[in-house]
Amino acid sequence: MTETWGKFKSFDGKKFEALDPEFTREVSSMLGGEDLTACFQCSKCSAGCPVSDKVNIQVHEIMRMLLFGLKEVLETDMVWLCTTCYTCQERCPQGIDITDIIFGLKNMAFKKEIAPPGYIAARKSLYDIGRLYEPTDWEREDLELDDVPELNVEDTRKMFDKIGLMKLKDGD
Amino acid sequence: MRAVAKELGINLIDFEGASCCGTVVLKSIDESSWLALSGRNIALAENRGHDIMTPCNGCFGSLKDTDHVLHDDEDNRKKVNTVLKPLGLEYTGKAKIRHLVEVLYELKDDIRKRIVKPLNGLRIAFHPGCHLIRPSNVVGFDDPELPRKVDELLELTGAESVAWGLKLSCCGSPLLISSEDVATKILSEKMISAKQANANCVVTNCPACHTQFDVQLIGMKDESGESLELPALFVTQILGLAMGIDPEPLGLELNRISLDPIADLLGF
Repeated sequence: MTETWGKFKSFDGKKFEALDPEFTREVSSMLGGEDLTACFQCSKCSAGCPVSDKVNIQVHEIMRMLLFGLKEVLETDMVWLCTTCYTCQERCPQGIDITDIIFGLKNMAFKKEIAPPGYIAARKSLYDIGRLYEPTDWEREDLELDDVPELNVEDTRKMFDKIGLMKLKDGD
Repeated sequence: MRAVAKELGINLIDFEGASCCGTVVLKSIDESSWLALSGRNIALAENRGHDIMTPCNGCFGSLKDTDHVLHDDEDNRKKVNTVLKPLGLEYTGKAKIRHLVEVLYELKDDIRKRIVKPLNGLRIAFHPGCHLIRPSNVVGFDDPELPRKVDELLELTGAESVAWGLKLSCCGSPLLISSEDVATKILSEKMISAKQANANCVVTNCPACHTQFDVQLIGMKDESGESLELPALFVTQILGLAMGIDPEPLGLELNRISLDPIADLLGF
């Protein structure tokens, strides 16, 4: 096991107080969540997952936790260690958009401030400069390329302000 | 990419006013913001009567995914168009999103005729990357379990695209932001697989994947201390060399991992 993310590390000895059907419904209503309840635990998702052997809680276990309405799922390492490779989604025999469901969980976790620091910095960069990275000028010069086309960052900020990207919080 | 496009008569127009696509990073933070940022780029191209072409799986996947959502889901389309309206833009779905390799594949016959410096003996571990082929109902480019299109292009040069066990698995790049440890572990597993297949180079069609193979890989060793490095090239560098384009406009001096072990095979 390499470095892991998240407080929820094992089911051993774990007691769950509340099974919340509202939580299951909430996840089902997010992008890609509509077929969530069709999961029959074949575990094919975990079989093809590149991080199955590197996480505490695997994809099929996440799917089970979602069906049981266990909000602790947001504290599992699988949420932020999902590479977004879409292998599970491609192979799911029930046609469940598993990777997209995990994106929804990331959105929920981010609002609860359960996210790797890199994502906080990335949000700021997207807001401030409209990009994740600054292009490396010397490499472009070496290749005799023109400057990167101009972006009016006021335009993208206006959209983000309206949506509330910089003010995401739980309960919205 | 520009040198090969020029040779093939593809007229590239720089995308004025484009922002980042947001990629899986913004989709992870907030899907509404991601749909707006990515949707704005599509609407901007549409407004000019252009399609979008990108040499990056991340941009391709993100834009295709956005296009897919906005096309099928009226609620999200309305929401995005509400924030686009003050910018004088509207998404209606007329702009096509293309990956560079999709366009190159359409020009396969033309490329075949232009091969003047065959790369016989080159054994390529080709890495298609995730977002070029999955989810297949969204990106619709190639078979998600047995992709062959880019391999066919590479083999026009006389090189061999070898079969390797972890060819279709992730390179680890998206995890650099959350856990460099896990990102690096995934990369090392892939490299062990490429070495087992006796590949003498890796070829990518995505700058994010490319950075894994050409930067993160520097100095990486397996458990017995053997180097896991292999020369890493971008798909257009291979095609360009075989088409007789000079190394300089192909940016070969910018590759970080030395190309010396295969310099003879590459013809310089």
